[in-house]
Amino acid sequence: MASQDISKKIYSVATAPLWHSGRTLQKNMLQTLLALLPVVAMAVYRYGYDAVEVMAWAGLTAVVTEALVQKLMGQQSTSDDFSALVDGLLFAFLLPATAPAWLVIIGSAVMVILGRMVFGGFGGSPLCAPAVGWAVLAISWPEFMDLNGMLLKWDLVEPLSELKFFGLDAISSISPMSLLLGENLGALGASQAAMVLLAGVYLMARGLVRWFIPVSFLAGVLIAGQVYNLIDPQVHATPLFHLLSGSTLLAAFFLMPYPSSSPAWRLPMLLFGFFGGVMVVVIRTYGIYPDGAAFAVLLANLCTPLFDLIQPKPFGGR
Amino acid sequence: MMKLRLNTSVEIKDVLQNVPTPTLVRIPIQKKHKPVVKKKQIVGRGQVVAENPSKNAHGIGYVHSSIDGIVEDVLPDAIVIGPIPAPKEGEEAAAVVRPEPCAELDSLSNEELSRKLLELGIDTSRFHASRALIINGLNPEPGVLVSEQLVKDAQDVLKAGLQILERAIKPGTVKLVVANGKQISLHGCTTVNASDVYPATIDPLVVHAATGSERPDNVDVISISALYRVGLVATTKLPLTEAAVTVGEKVYRVPVGMPVQDLLNAAGVEYGPDWKLALNGPMRGEALSDLSRGIPADCTAVTLVREGLYPSVEPNPCINCGECVLVCPARIQPGMLSRYAEFNMFESTRSQHVDACLECGMCTFVCPANRPVMQYLLLAKKQLAAQDEAVSTCRLQD
Repeated sequence: MASQDISKKIYSVATAPLWHSGRTLQKNMLQTLLALLPVVAMAVYRYGYDAVEVMAWAGLTAVVTEALVQKLMGQQSTSDDFSALVDGLLFAFLLPATAPAWLVIIGSAVMVILGRMVFGGFGGSPLCAPAVGWAVLAISWPEFMDLNGMLLKWDLVEPLSELKFFGLDAISSISPMSLLLGENLGALGASQAAMVLLAGVYLMARGLVRWFIPVSFLAGVLIAGQVYNLIDPQVHATPLFHLLSGSTLLAAFFLMPYPSSSPAWRLPMLLFGFFGGVMVVVIRTYGIYPDGAAFAVLLANLCTPLFDLIQPKPFGGR
Repeated sequence: MMKLRLNTSVEIKDVLQNVPTPTLVRIPIQKKHKPVVKKKQIVGRGQVVAENPSKNAHGIGYVHSSIDGIVEDVLPDAIVIGPIPAPKEGEEAAAVVRPEPCAELDSLSNEELSRKLLELGIDTSRFHASRALIINGLNPEPGVLVSEQLVKDAQDVLKAGLQILERAIKPGTVKLVVANGKQISLHGCTTVNASDVYPATIDPLVVHAATGSERPDNVDVISISALYRVGLVATTKLPLTEAAVTVGEKVYRVPVGMPVQDLLNAAGVEYGPDWKLALNGPMRGEALSDLSRGIPADCTAVTLVREGLYPSVEPNPCINCGECVLVCPARIQPGMLSRYAEFNMFESTRSQHVDACLECGMCTFVCPANRPVMQYLLLAKKQLAAQDEAVSTCRLQD
């Protein structure tokens, strides 16, 4: 009787604030998946069953690897927050649609292990995990990651490889509109420019991605592209071409604002984005790889701690 | 997805409400207070039950009984006053002595007046002579309507409070800060408009809005509720025994120490074991586990939140998303600091300016990992204070 009395009278308590914005990691990731759906649909429309296979292997491997490593590390499993699935999908978006299953599995596992788990899990990594997975594969198996070579069964060209190996004339027939609609070869998700743009704008409108990094990144691409174009319009492509080709848009909305590897303050975010954008064009112009977006993201990630040193004075600080 | 609006300014529809006088009150006292009543003693409304032992003019106020009754218990944190038992056959009813109105209030000034106010139950620790006085007329938190309700319904009391304060501390300038778009004036003081979106309503940011400088050292800031308490004493010349408390959409005049449960019943709001309750607003409120707790004099609201309405706070790892950094009015990195505190690196929190934290709770509010970010920061502050105290004690012993 007495214990009943007590249980009736004592209320459960919570720490202040009692209110919460209602945002959880799980809801954010589900929103991101929702935003990525049109990209997935477009990729399947363009590349058929091959794209389905690559995305399925990448997502499955990411989730399973994360669960296994977490078991090994004695951590609680966080598969239900869907962050591994989102990373797996983003990683798949960077691959050629005909990538063999073993390559996708290795890449996805490396992405989760090197890009996330060695740093303690999602949120601890100083590098953007999907970009890490892509970079490891691009360096280890360049012939399997070569978009032009892997996608021979489609009678189209990959704009960035054409630009790299055959010069500006080779891409003169490729209009910005065809780039936007993904009517050329490219990485299976990243080349669906219009859909990626749609996903990014949706996430920005929901407040899940802050505008600072995407906008400054795209500004960086445009300005750097414009500078090269002004230097010699016979050699260098237009800024719009750089903006719409390759993985530029995917990098702007998904890889650059990757939470743990980007700065937190406003000014550092702007500088970080701008730096990454300039690096995309620089790597494309001088590098040996046709598309430098993922490398530019990784380079910018390495500079994040430096950008984060630019801090405002705390309130009332003198 | 639920998107909460953190605007605090509202259109006040109802008038200030009264509640029936409770038969039993638990009047909260602080550690510094010294109880001056004994068990079974009969007290009248307004009689002192606990004193502030210091003789200073500035400090926490005396505590008075808010009802006529008999002292049932003297606890470390509260004095319980219950109904006077009916007199036995043949005995006379116990005499209840209520204090007379304090006529001196009109003649005193400066320190003496401050001391008198303290003895009448006003917390004078934030009043200093000849500084700028800023009255925070913004509702303190979303859902807490107290300030705007009092400005609407208790103009005379507020004016009397301001007049007596002007005599007590002779402020250089007086500014009233109200929400953007509101045209309110109070006894000739300058009105400043400011944002009403939490956390812009907390004192340091209101001072910033009014003076243009962060942490100026010659400014006192008081809330409308505090001014109302001074005004009550000034108009009645009796000790303070009342608080203005928001419950739901209405504001009630509540006898100090009224049990929360009685107040909720009087207000007719729904509550039960599947609700979480807190004293004061939803952002900084103090959790209530026991509904027999008495309402303190400086209470502004009783907040009720149905369990499960918001995701619960868990010790999840920080995901470095930076949301807390963007909302922090103190321009520090709450997420990073919370991780330092989580792993006992308290010195690092000091070098990263944890002491600039304004304790508004926005970091925890926005955290998508549902971490108790502010609690980690409070822990760090507490640890640093304890360390500093230990160091200074060691020095003294040398």
